[in-house]
Amino acid sequence: MITVTINGKKITLQKPVTILEAAKIAGIKIPTLCHHEMIKAYGGCRLCLVEIEGVPRLQTACSQPVADGLIVLTETERVIEARKAVLEFLLINHPLDCPICDKAGECTLQNLVIKYGPAAGRFAEGKRKYLENYEDPLIVRNMERCILCAKCVRMCDDVQGASAIAITNRGAKSYVEPFSGGRFNCEYCGNCLTVCPTGAILSKMHKHIYRPWLIEKEVETVCSFCGVGCSMILQIRGNSIIRNIPKTNKLNSELLCNKGRFGYDYINNSNRLNTPLIKKDGQLQPATWEEALTYTANKLKEIKEEKGSEAIAGIISGRCTNEEAYVFQKFFRLALRSNNIDSSAGFAYAPAQKFLEKIFGQGVTANSIHGISNSDGIFVIGGDPAFVNPVLGLQIRSAYKKCIPVITVGYADGLRNFSSCQFVPNPLTETALLAALVSEIRDKKTLSGERPAFEEIINKVQRLTPRDISDTCAIALDELNEALAILSDMTNPSIIIGRDIVQTMNGHINLMLLAALVYLLNGRVYLMSELPNEQGLLDMGCQPDMLPSGRPLAIETFRRRCEEIFGAEIPSKPGLTFVEIIDAAFYGKIKALFVQGENVLFSLPNIEYVRNAIENLEFLVVQDIFLTETARIADVVLPGLSWAEKNGSYTNLERKIQFTKKAVDGHGMEQWKAIAELSKILGFDMNYSSEADIFSEIAKVSLLYKNLTTKDIIAGDCIWPYKGEPLRHDTHIGWLEVPDILPLMKKPEIGKIYCYKDACLFYAENSSRYSSALQSISPAPYVKISNALADRLSISTGDYVNVSTENRNITLLAKRDPHLPENIALIANLDDKGIFNIINWKLNHVIKTPILDGNEVIIKKIGGNNNPS
Amino acid sequence: MEKVLLKNIHNPLSADIDEYIKIGGYNSIYKAFEMTSAAVIDEVKISGLRGRGGAGFPTAMKWLFAAADPQKPKYLLCNADEGEPGTFKDRVILEKNPHLLIEGIVISAYAIGAEYGYIYLRGEYPNARDILVKAIKQAYEKNYLGDNIINKGVRFHLQVHCGAGAYICGEETALIESIEGKRGQPRIKPPFPVNNGLSLKPTVVNNVETLSNIPYIIEIGGDTYSKIGSPESPGIKLFSVSGHVKKPGVYELPMGTTLKEIIYNHCGGIRDDKKLKAIIPGGVSAPVVTPDKIDCQMDFVNLSKVGSMFGSGAVIVFDETVDIVKVCLRVAKFFEHESCGKCTPCREGVSWMRAIIERISSSYGLPEDLNLLMEVSNNISGKTLCALGDGASISVQSFIKNFRNEFEEKLRK
Amino acid sequence: MELNKKILEEIKEIKNKYPDPQFCLLPTLHIIQREHGWISPMSLEAVGEILNIPKTTLKGVSTFYSMFTHKPMGRHMIQLCTNVACMIMGGEKLLDTLKKRYGIEPNTTTPDNRFSLVIMECIGACDTAPAMIVNANLHGNLTEQNIIEILEKYK
Repeated sequence: MITVTINGKKITLQKPVTILEAAKIAGIKIPTLCHHEMIKAYGGCRLCLVEIEGVPRLQTACSQPVADGLIVLTETERVIEARKAVLEFLLINHPLDCPICDKAGECTLQNLVIKYGPAAGRFAEGKRKYLENYEDPLIVRNMERCILCAKCVRMCDDVQGASAIAITNRGAKSYVEPFSGGRFNCEYCGNCLTVCPTGAILSKMHKHIYRPWLIEKEVETVCSFCGVGCSMILQIRGNSIIRNIPKTNKLNSELLCNKGRFGYDYINNSNRLNTPLIKKDGQLQPATWEEALTYTANKLKEIKEEKGSEAIAGIISGRCTNEEAYVFQKFFRLALRSNNIDSSAGFAYAPAQKFLEKIFGQGVTANSIHGISNSDGIFVIGGDPAFVNPVLGLQIRSAYKKCIPVITVGYADGLRNFSSCQFVPNPLTETALLAALVSEIRDKKTLSGERPAFEEIINKVQRLTPRDISDTCAIALDELNEALAILSDMTNPSIIIGRDIVQTMNGHINLMLLAALVYLLNGRVYLMSELPNEQGLLDMGCQPDMLPSGRPLAIETFRRRCEEIFGAEIPSKPGLTFVEIIDAAFYGKIKALFVQGENVLFSLPNIEYVRNAIENLEFLVVQDIFLTETARIADVVLPGLSWAEKNGSYTNLERKIQFTKKAVDGHGMEQWKAIAELSKILGFDMNYSSEADIFSEIAKVSLLYKNLTTKDIIAGDCIWPYKGEPLRHDTHIGWLEVPDILPLMKKPEIGKIYCYKDACLFYAENSSRYSSALQSISPAPYVKISNALADRLSISTGDYVNVSTENRNITLLAKRDPHLPENIALIANLDDKGIFNIINWKLNHVIKTPILDGNEVIIKKIGGNNNPS
Repeated sequence: MEKVLLKNIHNPLSADIDEYIKIGGYNSIYKAFEMTSAAVIDEVKISGLRGRGGAGFPTAMKWLFAAADPQKPKYLLCNADEGEPGTFKDRVILEKNPHLLIEGIVISAYAIGAEYGYIYLRGEYPNARDILVKAIKQAYEKNYLGDNIINKGVRFHLQVHCGAGAYICGEETALIESIEGKRGQPRIKPPFPVNNGLSLKPTVVNNVETLSNIPYIIEIGGDTYSKIGSPESPGIKLFSVSGHVKKPGVYELPMGTTLKEIIYNHCGGIRDDKKLKAIIPGGVSAPVVTPDKIDCQMDFVNLSKVGSMFGSGAVIVFDETVDIVKVCLRVAKFFEHESCGKCTPCREGVSWMRAIIERISSSYGLPEDLNLLMEVSNNISGKTLCALGDGASISVQSFIKNFRNEFEEKLRK
Repeated sequence: MELNKKILEEIKEIKNKYPDPQFCLLPTLHIIQREHGWISPMSLEAVGEILNIPKTTLKGVSTFYSMFTHKPMGRHMIQLCTNVACMIMGGEKLLDTLKKRYGIEPNTTTPDNRFSLVIMECIGACDTAPAMIVNANLHGNLTEQNIIEILEKYK
């Protein structure tokens, strides 16, 4: 117990903290400029100097730990004089351009000078002069205003781990700059903007638009980009979002990523749809809502009556809210009487979750993102969390900095400097690697006996030593042994699983082996989630075989219960999955498709095939906020509202439920409202007056969201398992087969190159294409190849190359990468030159997902010049 | 008195290990290794040895803190970043008597239980680097460094690490940062290097001259050593004397030798027998004093009594021809150039001081400028992260206090 | 400028001597400064790759130290001390001498790329003030005459 006295106030503390923190507990504010809770104390600005009894020199409160009996004075004349002196020093070179500085009104320096003085300057010489730097597309640097608190640099180094800016030179010539001196070429998280206390680092997007006192309201909401669900505050004037800042909360602290911070401007894109369109004479033409809805309802009715309900399907996007998803599946099941409902969550997120939940019970993936940096090890496979779920990625980086071992399997650029071991196995050999990890760890550990049936399966996994697979996987034996040693020491690691290990030929086997690993290591599972509400879609029953609350359609008692509440019968036969719907459309079995918010002609492999399938439909209705590639060939297009224009809730990858709130008015109709209207015309009334109405029905129907109220969610910590009744695991795991690994121990042929989908940090599939901010930092379509391959083909970064598969090819910019194996090429899904334009439509029929691996490509350098015509 | 630190330096081969051994070198290692490490620290404590780099911190105290810390490994860093203008005493040891230093380092490392050591040598001493590298190699060959030093089971490894032109790296935490490959900016304290220094492990940073005293202390015993020089700050000391004296150079004398003795007896008096105008007694961070202080004893206690500082014992002598304002300007420029830029008062304040002095020096100063200058320097002092800003402040103030009329003469009337 | 095999070998050797790759930073930059005469952005990037240190961090460290130069230098680097002891012993006059003889000012290079001149803070040669270091050689007791004689030996 430590007792300190600050300004006469006695404070008792459990553990030694700094004077600054102690003062904060006591409600005493000590001014600071270089301090930030997330960053280590720096002691540079000298503003927090305080007097300590018995210590002749003033001490910095931010760094000085309290000791028992310490007597501190924070507002004596001496202290105030010191603050005044420091502020005068800061002002000698800081321009007094507050009237034209965007920071004015929320500038810490300005506020402190107003409080402590000095009233007039005595510095007679010229101030430091630097030109404002506009070279970067998103960030403006005004180094005259910089007070060298180094918060931006420390944020970038210590928290973001990007180390993209540094203080260069020294003394009065110290200067904050990126390596190039101009463009940042960084991760563009913009967290430096959050911490800059003055107007030295500003967002270009908001420059000369944003003035703090012009903000009329602030709306707290949740980011619309990925499954982390960071909280943010939208600052509104009139009907526009003026700025977006992170909210200080438990989930993302004050952090955001590039997409969250800058990417929201897609909602202001001038190409937004604002009127319904109906195809007439082969052309989409504006129509009234009534026309469009009546037309759609009639077409659906016609097809339902003529071809049967099974000829109708619906695809929904993971950007849709819980309320929208709930209404969508209800419309399909009850009004159209079809279970053909799915989303892209069905490709990797849902199969992985379903698989693990069958073994471990519902909620196995509901783990706090903050838990990652507190686990005793991290195993990442199947994607780059630092790019897919950037703020989750920061937890891994911070864990690594705390010396928690991180093992990464697969190419993950964002974790390159934050992994104890990172290997990229040979194409198609991940399964062999996983099997070896499982069998080695199994043989080292004593099984707990907790799940005997599963243990029996684990025990039957083929015994493979590192030596057996080292050559096959092309991973050095000592690296494998090191990784195994590290893994075996973990007792409660975070196991982070991404799409790339699921959407593979052996995805189902990989999941089985991963489940075994989770069991052996007592791991906590996190599923990377590219969209904000993939979990919500599953919870709402937007799956062909699942009802709301993740209950299989096959559980009759639950189905009956739902039917009672709905007052209507639910078709009992499971519907088709996303890929099956596409195939069925191709073969003419699906006649009508309702696509809500998804761009199927962009986000599925073999766009040509998908296009043929879609064009084969009798009727396509697309509800979206943009005229996407899919919308362009639709029969009816319904404009939707963007995330900022409507209320709703998202459930993130840790299964936390959060509200997104309407911030501005939009031109479309709430997606759920349009569906409810359609339903009404079709003779099934859904009378909801608001999203809250829908949510209260969800709370009635769902056994997971049981009895949840708006209040519970607003209160914050709406985390698993809420007040719900999760399904228990399947004790009879007879469905699980022991995989036969040996046939998979195949080394890829020498000389063959396989292409994979590259995760691009600045790029989140669809909506980022409409964000001018993200477009400004997004790379041109490229292919990443290893230095070895590039050398062999004499390709330099910046050369154009032709990448081809059996019957398709694209021209891309080459990028050399020193960390890629020679037989792997990475292509992102960018614009019309993405990987999906060349790879084939291949399915894993067990988990019904499009396969992203095993795609051979041929790479050729184009001519001698760099012109790709 | 027989020279200790400068022993044998007139021998052109003095830097060679055989020559050093010939005159009894490395004997103290044997003696020290017969003692417990605690006894070695005790001997140093009794000797009253205080750091010779400038701050004058009792050496044994640092050692005790580090020795008591259970963390491993421990580091001993030799501060050879002799950057204080006017100081060149360590260079003589480094170039002429490197084995004395190595012997001192090995004994000190034994005392605190350090396994690794670096000599942080300023980049401006390329010659010393080559000599040290060679000397260390010889010491390894003769088993005075390595895994089993003189077969007594003592393990210590030493290497030279070169700075690259940053005065601030003489500050111990900046020195540590610099070895770690970072910008040489001082750390906030606490934690102190003795507990969390290099790689956050217990670390002792001692000056070259401090460490070079250790073999002698072990040889003659702390008690005998403590009788050398003045009672408050005992021992032998190297004085670097430069400026307007007839015989500038490094002089090994007992602590407490008076300025007068140094300038007139040892250095032959003022060049061209001109009049003495001012003396900086401890490197430019030490306040300048006027000739009336010439009878002051050079040690930690007596110099502070006359308003100055012992510092590194670097005496810069100015005769009557010197323009004091120009000297003051040069000193301010030095501090401006060397400020690391981490903390506000030093970064902004020192360049402001320089600007005002520059104005005065070019006869553009306003009558109120001297008061402004004093206020600015007062606003720096006591508020900075490390001592560099304080040094700049007190040094500039001393010029004004002692030679106010010279400044006033240059002001615009 | 690319790092040649000799430099890479030397860096590798240094890496073995330190517990942490970042500790090798200053020694590595010293090698590059010695071999190339300056530290180019490209060398910084290369060092970053080798030592696994972000290149921006490297730039921050490298520019902190005044002996590392970040623009190409002449064949010989004159490092003239003008700190107090050298100044009062006539060091400043030597600046004029150099300007007159070679037309060179502090922080510039002669057009024939022969000399670059930088001003040093104290180089620890106050007993032989005024003094300078040319490349790695110390020259003391300079006068307006002998400084030219000395420099003329550097072609």
